[in-house]
Order: sequence, then C-alpha cells, then structure tokens
Amino acid sequence: MFEKLVAVICNYVEVSPEQITGDSRFMEDLGFTSFDFMSMLGELEDELDVEIDQQKAADIRTVNEAVSYLESLKA
Amino acid sequence: MLYSTIRDILVGTERQFGPEDAVRYKVGKDQVESKSYTQLKEDSERFSFVLDALKERGSHVAVIGLTSYSWLVAYLGTVNSGSVAVPLDVSLPAEEICELIDRADVTVLVLDEVRQDVAAIAKDRCPKLKHLISIQKETHDSKALSLQELLAEQNDKLEKKVGFSYQPNPEELCTIMFTSGTTGKSKGVMLTHRNMAENATCLDMKIPSRTVILSVLPIHHAYCLSMDILKGISLGSVICINDSLMRVAKNCKLFRPDMILMVPLMIETMAKKLEEAAGLPPQIVKKEVFGDNLHTICSGGAYLNPAYLDLFAKYGITILQGYGMTECAPVISTSVSWNINKEAVGQLVPNCEAKVVDNELWVRGSSVMQGYYKMPEQTKEVLHDGWLATGDLGYVDKEGFVYLTGRKKNLIITKNGENVSPEELENKIGEDRLIQEILVREQDGVIEAEIFPDYEYAKKNGIENIRDYLQNVVDTYNKNAPVYKRVYHIKERTTEFEKTPSKKIKRY
Repeated sequence: MFEKLVAVICNYVEVSPEQITGDSRFMEDLGFTSFDFMSMLGELEDELDVEIDQQKAADIRTVNEAVSYLESLKA
Repeated sequence: MLYSTIRDILVGTERQFGPEDAVRYKVGKDQVESKSYTQLKEDSERFSFVLDALKERGSHVAVIGLTSYSWLVAYLGTVNSGSVAVPLDVSLPAEEICELIDRADVTVLVLDEVRQDVAAIAKDRCPKLKHLISIQKETHDSKALSLQELLAEQNDKLEKKVGFSYQPNPEELCTIMFTSGTTGKSKGVMLTHRNMAENATCLDMKIPSRTVILSVLPIHHAYCLSMDILKGISLGSVICINDSLMRVAKNCKLFRPDMILMVPLMIETMAKKLEEAAGLPPQIVKKEVFGDNLHTICSGGAYLNPAYLDLFAKYGITILQGYGMTECAPVISTSVSWNINKEAVGQLVPNCEAKVVDNELWVRGSSVMQGYYKMPEQTKEVLHDGWLATGDLGYVDKEGFVYLTGRKKNLIITKNGENVSPEELENKIGEDRLIQEILVREQDGVIEAEIFPDYEYAKKNGIENIRDYLQNVVDTYNKNAPVYKRVYHIKERTTEFEKTPSKKIKRY
C-alpha cells in the first residue's frame, strides 16, 4: 500500500518518491493543499474500490496514517 | 430578469420550468435522483407550513449541513415564509456552532446527522433554541424532530394544492451569514430579500436556461448560495450536487456539467491534472478531467493567478473571475465571457457602484448588507451613508473594471475563499503560557504562526525542547479547528516582535 500511495502522491506534488517517508506530513512536508489531498483520496477510492469517510480522512496527517486507514478499509 | 425577492425567483422559474429537473444528486455510488422545480417549490412551501405549525414563522432558523436537496428545501422554506435563515459552517467545532446559534437568536435548528455532536449539546448551550430538526431521521424521537415526518404532516396541503401564499417584502431580512471578523469574533451579516435576489439576478451573463451546474462549494458561503443556487434557479438551471470534495473529478464525469463555480485552490489542483496529461489531445484531456461539456468556470472567493485563464482556454474552458464579499451578498464585480480583462477582477455588476476613499474601495447598491447582527459599532466602522468600505485597496476604470492592489483589513483570505482572522488564531494558540508573542499570517499559501517563546518560563519549567513543545501546542489547536483554520508552519523567533507606538505587534 505504501508504494501505491507514494506513486499517487507524486501525481499531486512535486516530490520524488525517495523524499517520501511514512512520517512525511501531507501539508507541512509534502506541500499538499487541502483540495489536493481531497482529490487524491477520491482517486484512491476508485483505484482501491473502497469508500472513504471524509470526516475520518480530515484527521489524517502523515503518509503512515493514510496507509493504515486505507489498509483498514481493504481488510 | 431582475427579481427582488427569493420567492419571486422560485415562483417565476417554477412557472416556466415546473416539471423539468431543478436539482440532481447522488444516492448510493453512481445512482442519480432528481427533483423538479415544482417539487422544489412545493417541498419548500411545505417547510414554510412546518414553521407555521411550530409557531416559528418569523423566527431565526439555523441550517447546518452539507449541500443537499433537504438543505435547499429548509433554506427556501424559511426565507419564503418571512423567517430568517442562518446558514452555518458544518465544519466548525460544536462549541463555536452553539455560540453562533445563541448569538443569532436561533429558535429552530435544522441539522445534518453528521453533526450529532452539535445535537448533543445544542439545547443545553443555546437556551433560546426550541426545536431541533434532523435532516436524515425518518421519524421523530426524543432527541429531535424528523424533517421528513414534519414535511409529511403537511401533505394535505400538497394534495389540496394549497400553496404557502406569503409574499415577502424585498426589504425584509431573510438571511444572516457569519463571516470572519478582523477582531477575531465572527460577524452576522444581515441580508434582505432584495440584497440577495438582486445580487443573483441583476446581471445577464447570457447563460442559457437549462445549463447544467455542478455545485462544489460549501453551501453556507454567500458565493455558493447566491451564484450556484439563487442564480441557478433564476436561470432554470439543473443544479447538480457534488457529494464530496473528494469526488469532484468523478462527479464531473457523472453529471457532465456545463459550468462550475470554483475557488482558486480547486482551479490550481485541476490545472495540475490538465498539465499532467499535456501530451494528449486537449479534447480527450478535458473529457477525462471535467467531463465533455464543461465550458465555463466562475472563480471567486480569493485571488486567482491570471495565468490559469490561458491554460484553461487551451481546453476550451473560459474562466470568469469575480470579486465580492458576504457583506455585498456577495458579488461586487464579475467577468463576462465576451469582455474579459485578465488584470481585473471583473466589471462592477449593474446594482453596484464604487468609489475610492484613501485608496480603499467603497461600494454602494441594492446588495449592500443592512449591518452586522447586534454589532452596531462594527457596522458603523464599515457602513457610511449606504457605502460599504470593503477593506480592499483598489480602483475602478472607466469601463467599470475593478482592480485590487492590496488589503487594508487584517484578514487572511485563503485560496479556498475562506476568511480567517489572524487574531482569533493568535488568541487561541497564545493561551499557552510558553507563548509570549505570536503573529499569524499567510505564507506560501498556508497559515504560518511565528512565535516568540517565553524562554525564562521554559527554563523555570524544565521545557528543554521548545520546538517540540510549540508543535504540540499547535497540533492540539489544529485538532479542533476546521481544516481552513489550521496552522501548518511554525517559525520560532528569539527576539521580540517590533511594535507600533501603541505597543501592538507590527504586522507588515
């Protein structure tokens, strides 16, 4: 899941995959805007065929938190 | 056609387009339902009857929720019954929502179930509140009335074809919208039927009837309510409801809109999508990103870099820039497709005139608010003999094009069009004893807090890692703050801020 997420992240912000770690924060470290983040979640919904809860998603700050949340939806 | 009440807009369009779709929305993943103009009129009139039955006609009714058909029914039913609607931001913390409900003298609260936390405390915190109505509940229970059941109780009126006959006066107060104040306390902007209806209908933008609009902005914003909803209805448009900001791209393909109102933040993300596929034929890229019909994006709420106008033009999409503020219901100027000036934020709308006072733009016209609810001092600061001091620096040319050059008021306007008071954030974050001085501002598109810590206090209390401590303080604040009020950068400084002669921190 981590690799998949990193690939999608790179479509939204100008960072190389090596720069992204589990602790990277979307807004502070990767330069996401709130709407970039929402759009990315929408793309992941389609790609992973899951339904994301927008309110829960609003609390996600780091890549690891996103991975855990997405994995919990797939489980 | 110029309308002076919201009821006239709805009645006029229903007469022309009764059985045609007014609103389309998703039920389940990709299934779409619709309501006609006749249904919208009748359902909103049933809500007017509900308020009458509750003996709340003329009262203040707060509506809190994501954009939905029920939200529109509650809003239109309220304002067209001679009552006052108070649309509130669904993303605010529960305590703040309750404070606004109380301050706006709300007696009826129509609430989306996503905010059960508000429902849990509202009756305790808001002594004037008499009725809590749930948008989703199917039946009444001890906690809340059900909107569906209340409307069903008025079905006999529908069967007997009895419409709610009240005709609002254009000068009647119909909506109170809260906007961030520069002093930290949000202010309730009082708008009449004339303010709102004429703002939405005074300019003929040559938009054909039955235009399909995708509504993506938060419904409690004046820009969305006036331009997506009221203007949309006045044109007999099909208003499609975007169910989540996560799904704008997907919903573009589903609803295939002709037109979308956006804030610059959204346009920037969409631009990245367009640029990503730059090698492909424009028509294919456009279809993938926006669906095949989109030809117009109206941009408002914040400044948009004019370079985006050229980028989108390559894909056959015209961006129309506009400018306004809630206090003006909200549009002051907008571009029209046949006369675009990239350097300006559009031309003054016909019901608005402007002058410049000490470099500040002042506007006057039928959309200027009545004042801030129960805030006479703040009202006096901005309203001068019918002129509204916008707080923006700028000028207007002979053709009526408006140019903005800066801002006089101390307010952060984020790229998603939200107004954030730096003082509100400074007061909240600055409550921590370690923070001696704090300045909040916008930096590179995000909100930054520059902090001068009390180093002596840190020493006395054994706080060794000041940076981590400050991050913790900000994280705690962020947890309860809506996304647009969150602080994403912290800058620590080791010297005091420079001060004005009155000992306030120099902001600029």
